[in-house]
Amino acid sequence: MARSSTENMITLMSSDGEEFMVTEKVARECTTIRNMLEDDCVITNIPLPNVTSDILSMVIEYCMEHVAAAEKAAAETAEKGSSSAPAAAKANKDLEEWDKAFMNVDVYTLCDLILAANYLNVSGLLDLTIQTAANLIKGKSPEQIRKTFHIQNDLSLEEEEKIRSQTPWAFEKSE
Amino acid sequence: MGNRRWDRYGPSTYRPTPIQFYRPITEDPYHSNFIPYHPIPYQQAIAEENDADDSESSNSVSFISNIPNDMLVKILSYLPVASAVRASVVCKRWHEAVRSFSLQGSTEDPSPSQKPWYFMFTCGNKLVTGFAYDASYRKWYGLEFPCIEKGMWSFSSSNGLVCLMDIENGYRIFLCNPITKDWRAFTQPPGTTSPDYCAMALAVDRKTKNYNLAVVKCSQVHVDLYEWDLSIHLYQPDTGSWFSPYSEVLVGSRGGEECVICDGVLYYLISTAGVLGAVEPRHAVVLYDLSNPNRRPKERLVDTIVQVPCALTCARLMNLREKLVMVGGIGKVDRPGVVKGIGIWELCKKEWKEVARMPHKLFQGFGEFDELFASNGSGDLIYIQSYGSPALLIFDVSQKIWKWASKSPLNKKFPLQIFSGFCFEPRLEIGV
Repeated sequence: MARSSTENMITLMSSDGEEFMVTEKVARECTTIRNMLEDDCVITNIPLPNVTSDILSMVIEYCMEHVAAAEKAAAETAEKGSSSAPAAAKANKDLEEWDKAFMNVDVYTLCDLILAANYLNVSGLLDLTIQTAANLIKGKSPEQIRKTFHIQNDLSLEEEEKIRSQTPWAFEKSE
Repeated sequence: MGNRRWDRYGPSTYRPTPIQFYRPITEDPYHSNFIPYHPIPYQQAIAEENDADDSESSNSVSFISNIPNDMLVKILSYLPVASAVRASVVCKRWHEAVRSFSLQGSTEDPSPSQKPWYFMFTCGNKLVTGFAYDASYRKWYGLEFPCIEKGMWSFSSSNGLVCLMDIENGYRIFLCNPITKDWRAFTQPPGTTSPDYCAMALAVDRKTKNYNLAVVKCSQVHVDLYEWDLSIHLYQPDTGSWFSPYSEVLVGSRGGEECVICDGVLYYLISTAGVLGAVEPRHAVVLYDLSNPNRRPKERLVDTIVQVPCALTCARLMNLREKLVMVGGIGKVDRPGVVKGIGIWELCKKEWKEVARMPHKLFQGFGEFDELFASNGSGDLIYIQSYGSPALLIFDVSQKIWKWASKSPLNKKFPLQIFSGFCFEPRLEIGV
């Protein structure tokens, strides 16, 4: 994948002042940045005061991987005239595996990634992080959810009892 | 090895391997009292490990205090209903989020992990007892179903709402959400109050939440003639009234109690039993376009007729992802009334395409299979049960897998006890 040397580079600056230089193509994965670039095409330096350098580097890593996967698929299609279904399926599966490994993070990072994906409007990453958070909730008891996400229960015993009694079936203990 | 009679529905050899009755549900540690060696997804295990590491500081930062409400509601929309309901007692904020999710709904499609449920019930002397089966968790819930009373009911469900019609008692019609327990009653549809056959179908639009409710009535015109008077009645939610856009006299075939709406078209099952000289009774489907009910349809219903592929008993129509699917019992060649197997077909451009046929050993697994069975489906699942027993078989249309449900908490207490049921999508966010 030879990248043309004339490709535009964009500098993204995190809240803690770190600079990340990325290709315009990677930056455009973030709809928020794409809109900025479309409004003002000469912009090359974008401050992102809501995103820390740790999280920004992860978002960029995600965007780079997904751009590379798309480019590879496009190159293969151009080469063979049409993409072969098994190869495309394998590439998809590889990317899914990559996403899964990428989501191997603690709940604080996950939360920051959700916020960043929402702010930068990276729809793929937002879906991935929301789904990961949902997977952490799925099948757990309220107690286990609180433990996983470090949540203090501020409902009184009476309040909790009242909510539970509205849908007793959801709280039935199995034999 | 004990008496085989006790293995009434489904001796274990008849079941595919992943099925274990009354075993803890592996995906659901809450209900399994947590088996130490059960497989936890890797990232979850990692997250829990991290939790342990951070336990010192766990009270200082809360995941949830950082997440804006709309993101929390979005997470809830990705959850199966049972998990979302359980999440509502985590803390005040989550409770509010679940509440606002159920009130305002979500623009997202329902969680892909949310499979449709099956509500199975039986009538004792007076009481109706029922349980809902959640195929995602392989668990039965003691769900109190609103409106339902002892008697004969017909059901139609769509996108979280269930419509019930009381066949024995004046055809009263109710609409309810079994999860939120919201319900309302409808006024009577126009036309005869005692039709020979009456069918009802509901279709809720996922995006707009508008619904179509259709009732088809069919009565014999004259005892000596093979003529049946058929009329279609539609409910208009905006005016709260019924109107009757169409009627037709069927000659030589009669209507029935089965209809469904798929993709804006009402499909109604008729029977050509009355045709002179016809040896075997045959079913057929007629189509009525609901997209513009004020316009007179171009064709009469009889001109839209699509014969079913073979003689069927207990034929049922269902909407699986806006495609018309039919399940029916295939009769023996010499005795069409005796079911020898169950087939599933999909209607593609007026042709029936066989989707699957129930493997014989599963069919035997129902035990004494009396000729009557119920089937209903939604999404990718079709549920099939015999009226004579609480065994429940599931067919996944996308994966082409047959599976027994875990053992139903309902028991057969007397010989002629009847079990019935229907399928619905559990949804918190659809109001009636």
